[in-house]
This record gives sequence, structure tokens and C-alpha cells, in this order.
Amino acid sequence: MIDVRVWLLWALTALVAASSTRNPLYIVLLLLVVALVGVFWAPAHRRLPLAPLRFALVAVPLAAAFSGLTAHLGDTVLFCLPPWLPLLGGAVTLESLVAGTINGLTLTVIWGAFAVLNQVAAVHELVRLAPRAFRDAGLVLSIALTYLPQTSRSLARIREAQAVRGHRLRGPRDWLPILIPLLISGLERSTGLSEAMVARGYGAVSDRPQPLPARGLLALGLFLLLGGWMTWLFVPRWAAGALAAMIAGGGLVGAVVWWGGRSVQRTTYRVHRWGWRDVGVMLGCSLLLLLVLLPLGGQRTLAYNPYPLLAAPPFDPLVGLGLLGLLAPAAAAPGPRRPAA
Amino acid sequence: MIRFDRFRYTYPGASQPALADVTFAVEQGELVLVTGLSGAGKSTLLRCINGLVPHFSGGQVGGVIAVAGHDPVAEGPAVLSQIVGFVFQDPESQFVVDEVADEIAFALENAAVPRPEMRARVEAVLEMMGLTPLRRRRIDTLSGGEKQRVAIAAALALRPQILLLDEPTSQLDPRASEEVLQALVRLNRQLGLTILLSEHRLERVLPYVDRMVHLPGPGQPPQAGPPRSVLRHVDPLPPLVALGRALAWEPLPLSVEEGRPFAERALQDCQVRRASSPAVLGDLEPILKVENLSFAFAGPVVLQGVNLVVRRGELAALMGRNGAGKTTLLRCIVGLLQPQEGEIALAGRSIWGRETAEVCRQAAYLPQEPDSLLFADTVAEELWVTLRNHGLQAQPPIHPHALLDRLGLQAVRAAYPRDLSVGQRQRVALGAVTVTAPRLLLLDEPTRGMDYAAKESLLALLREWRAEGMGVLLVTHDVELVAQAADRVIVLEQGRVVADGPPAEVLTADADFAPQVARLFPACGWLTAAEALARLTPPAARPIQSSAEGDAA
Repeated sequence: MIDVRVWLLWALTALVAASSTRNPLYIVLLLLVVALVGVFWAPAHRRLPLAPLRFALVAVPLAAAFSGLTAHLGDTVLFCLPPWLPLLGGAVTLESLVAGTINGLTLTVIWGAFAVLNQVAAVHELVRLAPRAFRDAGLVLSIALTYLPQTSRSLARIREAQAVRGHRLRGPRDWLPILIPLLISGLERSTGLSEAMVARGYGAVSDRPQPLPARGLLALGLFLLLGGWMTWLFVPRWAAGALAAMIAGGGLVGAVVWWGGRSVQRTTYRVHRWGWRDVGVMLGCSLLLLLVLLPLGGQRTLAYNPYPLLAAPPFDPLVGLGLLGLLAPAAAAPGPRRPAA
Repeated sequence: MIRFDRFRYTYPGASQPALADVTFAVEQGELVLVTGLSGAGKSTLLRCINGLVPHFSGGQVGGVIAVAGHDPVAEGPAVLSQIVGFVFQDPESQFVVDEVADEIAFALENAAVPRPEMRARVEAVLEMMGLTPLRRRRIDTLSGGEKQRVAIAAALALRPQILLLDEPTSQLDPRASEEVLQALVRLNRQLGLTILLSEHRLERVLPYVDRMVHLPGPGQPPQAGPPRSVLRHVDPLPPLVALGRALAWEPLPLSVEEGRPFAERALQDCQVRRASSPAVLGDLEPILKVENLSFAFAGPVVLQGVNLVVRRGELAALMGRNGAGKTTLLRCIVGLLQPQEGEIALAGRSIWGRETAEVCRQAAYLPQEPDSLLFADTVAEELWVTLRNHGLQAQPPIHPHALLDRLGLQAVRAAYPRDLSVGQRQRVALGAVTVTAPRLLLLDEPTRGMDYAAKESLLALLREWRAEGMGVLLVTHDVELVAQAADRVIVLEQGRVVADGPPAEVLTADADFAPQVARLFPACGWLTAAEALARLTPPAARPIQSSAEGDAA
């Protein structure tokens, strides 16, 4: 298994890489890499990369259409819309469609990377990474996130229940028989879960308010931070003082958070021991980040602009090789995971 | 350990108290059953013990409640959580994390228990509940019984002195229920844990309990005491107890083992008539025909080559363990799922290519959660909504007014459906799907959470509809209900039909599905207390002493 922090680094690296390039060749390569990692870490019965494909089928045409209809740039005019149409009126060009397609593919890479993260890392493991002072907020967030799949299942169940009594979805008003039970079941579920959590001891240890001095220092820190920032923006001649206030405020807030975290009692059941898989994935990510962020030779091939006239994008094998660093989790994947009975 | 003294609780805005004049005590190490009609206050009583009531619900409290020397009303559920563990009716509603061991450790992490101690406690609880092999399994891949055991294990992690369980077996098949109950008995006997559980299916739990608390109705004082003395004032009863009471068996048997000596004596003393052959339904017109049906979700196969027929005027029961594919089969029949193979015909016409809405005009389907159907402002409106959906409001096949009469809902026709009791909500949902006068009725666990009286009322309605020619396919884990109602029993196991025949044959072939009376009189072919009483003719059985008496005392 790979540590959740390493998975987070992997997803963030994919995000940085996808955001750093407009070159469609590299973006497609990233998409393939992300899809492959998803396949290797998926349960045995879900080994087709259908989720990113489905996302791409929606995101790419939408982004291409939006760009094509709103960015009237480029030399290769495909057709023209009447100029009296607000925003849409003008030439629809091949270049703007390609630019939109690149946007759609970039979104798919980012979505795909976080879909993999979601697949391999439990939400509560990610929330544990938050500073101790934010423990309660993190717990609330993790529970809120478990509601998404539950709500999705609830929605499917209610739609089926309404369908069997002859309900058909034709217009917005037809959503009422679905939304009302969904809302009520959601409220019931949230009450039930909060009761269950309190009954299991949640709040018995941590429901202690922060002492007054800590709250006062936090307020002072935030005041300094905000005041310094405003001064920086609106009174340029006091820039040095504003900077000092911001640094002092930031330091104070950080200190209060650290101090507050010390008083939060928390223990962790599961401890991950680092192994070769973690090291391999970190090396792969580091290689990619070096190639993307440092001004090495191939870095300029990351940029690509389809305007004014479409041209073939450049490709540097070294950069391509660096992008393959993101494949490291695929190599570190365990054997086929069978679905549980 | 727990003491109620003239305790009283009223929900906010309620005109009468939910609990009134509650006075009883529970000693350490007792296993106590809390029973009563739906809405009688069983869950409320349990929630008072750990302080969820009134801390979550509000309302007015009177009298005294003491739990291990603490006052739950004053101290609240967070403090009481260190003393009282609580397992809710639906285990899934209380899970917070994904894996079994993590879920058990969740409460310990919150309580900042040091890691070595936490590990030891998690291991001990896993071992105790027989979950060690499942420790790394994702909770959503577990069976119903396994999930319930995880919920109990999670509640035990904080080492409570008292464990409260709200209908812990209501969603489980007979085998899973037995597993859960055995686990509870182990905890009670070996660790001396005080356990209170509420339950409707008394036949499952009675053999294990030391004490019983019966809540006759909202605001009525409960009867508490040893099960045999409380059961004399409770009605309706599980079949064995009903039989024992009718035949004056003393001491009243609570388990089949305790009842066997009485049964043997009754068979010797009485003139016994064997069960008559069941009515032959083979010639009746089939309403539903399923042929060679196979279905798989993305991965595992759920249904494999299923063949079954439901005829006009027949009530067929579909049974099987949790996850056997029963609900999936019903969803395929009404077109909510598209099978990969096979044919489904309703009244001789294939459902292939037909919309679910159209299929459901002929084949009404009541899903497991009736609340998913209910959204209108009044009970009557729920029925009209279905008629409007089908374009039948001008000429309804059954007038909603008449259907509400038959469902016993006329008095609450203007009420908001979600304010009603579980049994009433189930009947509103039943009305909402049957107002189109369907020829086939598909019911998925309709008696879940229902008390005996509500079940009787549903059963009477099903019998009426069956007599009028409606075919009924009833999915249930309730073997006593099937014994009372079914003309035929079909058993599904891992997606295949493994038995299909008369109840007397199918129910007695598998110990998991055998009703109490069939186990008591194994060679007689009787399934219900009424059948046994009708065939055990005088001289009446006289009281005898049982070897079980000493055990039960």
C-alpha cells in the first residue's frame, strides 16, 4: 500500500503538470498515465477507465463548444454566427475549438487524478492530515463527504420508488416528488448520524472551548494580518510597516493554531510504515516536478498556442519521459484486487 | 444498574406523554427485552437511558432515571457514552469510516485512547464478535449480519457497562439474526454485560432474555418482569407462546427446545389429524412468468437462470439470505433493471421494451423503504398522485376513498403521511402502488419494523386481495408470516432458485426457514399455531413439568 500523503503528492503533481502545459500531446500523455494508474488500482471488476472516459465525453465537447462559440479568434474560420447574437455572434474557428478541446482534456486529467485519489485514499485518512487544531472541522468535513455517495444512493432509490407509481421526469415540476423525500431522508440521516456519533463518545473529550487568551491572540493575529494587507493595498508608503504587521499577524495565527492543536487530544489507530512503493512514487513525482518547474531545455515545449493558425505541437522526449514519472503508482500496484463477496 | 422511578417523558408539542409512569429496574448482567406495539415508546425508552432523549429531541421529563449512578437527563449522551453503548436499527446509518477495524477504532481515536491500548481493545472486540477475518474488509462489502456485528463491536470498543440495541435483527435473515443474537448472548453470559434490546419478532429473542419490559401503548405504564409472567398479558404472541398459552403448558415454553416435551405429550394425549394436502394451484392462470433470468451488476452475477411463476390468486413467498438476489429479481420484474438474459412476461405479455411506469400499472411494486414513495401533504393525496401519474384520475379503477377504507386509513386520510406509525406508512405506500388495481403485487420486506398487530392487519388485506384473484409475490425473512400466509415458497440462494414448492415442504427442509410450530411438531406438517390447535383435538393437554423449567427459572 502507498501512504495517503504520497497519493496526495501524486495527485497534486498531476494537477501541477496539467496546469503547466497547454501542449495537447503532453496533456493526452498525462491523461493516459492517469487512466492507467486508475486501472491498476481499481478493483478487478472495474478495470476499464470508464469514469474518466465518461467525464471526457461531457467535458471536452462542452469546453470546445464554449470556446468555439465565445472566442472568435483564429484564422481557420469554419462558419459564422450572426453578429447580432450577444457574445456568440462572430466567426467560429478551428483554432478556438482546439483551444477549448485542450481545456476539456486538462480538466479531465485533473478530474481523473483526483478520482484516483478518491478511489485509493479514504476521506478520513486525508482529513487526518489536517493540523490538530482543525480536528473537529476536519471530522465534520469527512462526515459531510460520506454523505455524497449516500445521497446519490438515496436519490437512485427515490427515483425508482417514484417510477413504480408511474412518475415520469418531464419538467422541473416533476422533480418535486423526488426532491422532497430526498431532503427529508437527508435530514433524517444527518440527525441519525449525529445521534450515533454522540452515542459513540464524539464530543466527550473535545468539546472544550479554547481559553480566552488564545481566542484573544487569534483575534489580534487576524486583525494584524487583515489590517496589514489593507494597508499594503491602499497605503503604499507604509508598505514596510504593513509587511511587518502581516508577518506578525501570520506568525501569531500560526502560533495560536499550533498551541491550540497541542491541547487537542487525538490518537491514531493505523500507522503507515514507509516502503519502496512510497519512495518510488515520490521519486517519480519529483522527476516530473523538476522537468516541469525548472527552466531546463524541454520546458518551453510545454507551451502551445493554437492561435492564430493551427500548427503541430512540439514534443520533447525528455519531457515525455518525465511525465511518465507519474506512472510510478502503476508499477507499485499490488496484484489484482478481487471484488469482495 | 438502571432504575426508572415514575419516569415520564413527553415529546415537544405532543398532547400526551410517550412514556408515563415507568417504574422498573435492571440488574447488572441482565439481558432485557423491550417490546410493545409500533409507536409504544420502545426506542424512546432506550434513548432515555443514554440521554439522547431529551438532549436531541427536547421535550419534558419527569420522575427519576439513574444509569450506573449517573443521571442521563442532567449529564447528557456524550458523558453517558462512556457507560452505555448504543446500536441503532440501521447499522449503516452510524458508520463513519470505510474499513471494519477503523470503524471500531473511531470512537477510541475520539477518546484519545493511547495506540497500544487501542490496538488491544480493537483486537479484543474483533475476536469477541467473530470479526477478526473481516478486519480489513470494506464495510460496504459486508453482509447484513456482518454489518450489524460491526456496529455492535464499534459500540463495545469504549467498554460500556450497558449495551442498548434498537431492533438489531429487523433487517436480517434468520441465520444472520441467530448469529447476532448468539454474539449478544456470549457478551451477556461471558462478560456480564447488561443488555437491553427492543424487538418485534419475539420468537427470535425470547429464549435468551432474563427479563421483559412490555410497553402496551403511548402513555401507558409498562409491564416489567420475567418473560413468562409478562407474556400472560401480551397479545398477539409468537406462535410457540400462543400455543403454550392455549394448551395451558406450564411453565410457558419460550424456546422450541423447552416446548418439545409438551409437544410430545400433546401428541400422545390428543387425537391428531395430519395436515390436509394443500390446495392445488397449478391449473390457475399464470400472471407472472420468469424464464431463465440472469442479471449481473458491473461485476458479480446476482441472478442466474431464475425460473418462476406466480399465478392468479396465489401468494408466493420468496425467501433467501441477505444478498441472495431477491430485491434484484423484483427490480428486474418491474423493469427497473435490465437483465442480461431471460424473459419476463406479465399476463402473457413480455415486459421487454415497456416503461417501468406502464409495467407497474399491472404489477404494483412496494419497495423496502416506503418513505421513498411518500411526499404528498395528505394520505388521500398520495393515492391521487399515482392516479394522476397514470392518467387515471378521471376514472380510477378503485376509488381512493374505497381503498383507504380497506387499508384502514380512512380516519387518517387528511393526515401528513410521514407523521404516521411505521405500519400506517407502509399501508399508505401500499395504497399508493395498488390504486391502479394491479393484477400482481410485489412486496419487498413489507413487515420490517411492524408489530404483530400491524402484520395481522396486512395479512388480512393480502388474503382479501388474493381471494379476488390478485397474484402476490412476497419477499420476506419473516418465516412465521410465510407459514401463515403463503401458498408456495420459493427459496433463492446466490442468485439461483434452490427450492420451489408448498410451504410445508420447503419451510421444513431448511432449519433456517422452519417456523416454530414445524420444529415443535416435525412430523405433522403443521406450520402455524392455529393449524396445530385445530388438529390437536381434546382431551386437552394437561400441565406437565418440563426439564426446561429449571433452566428457565
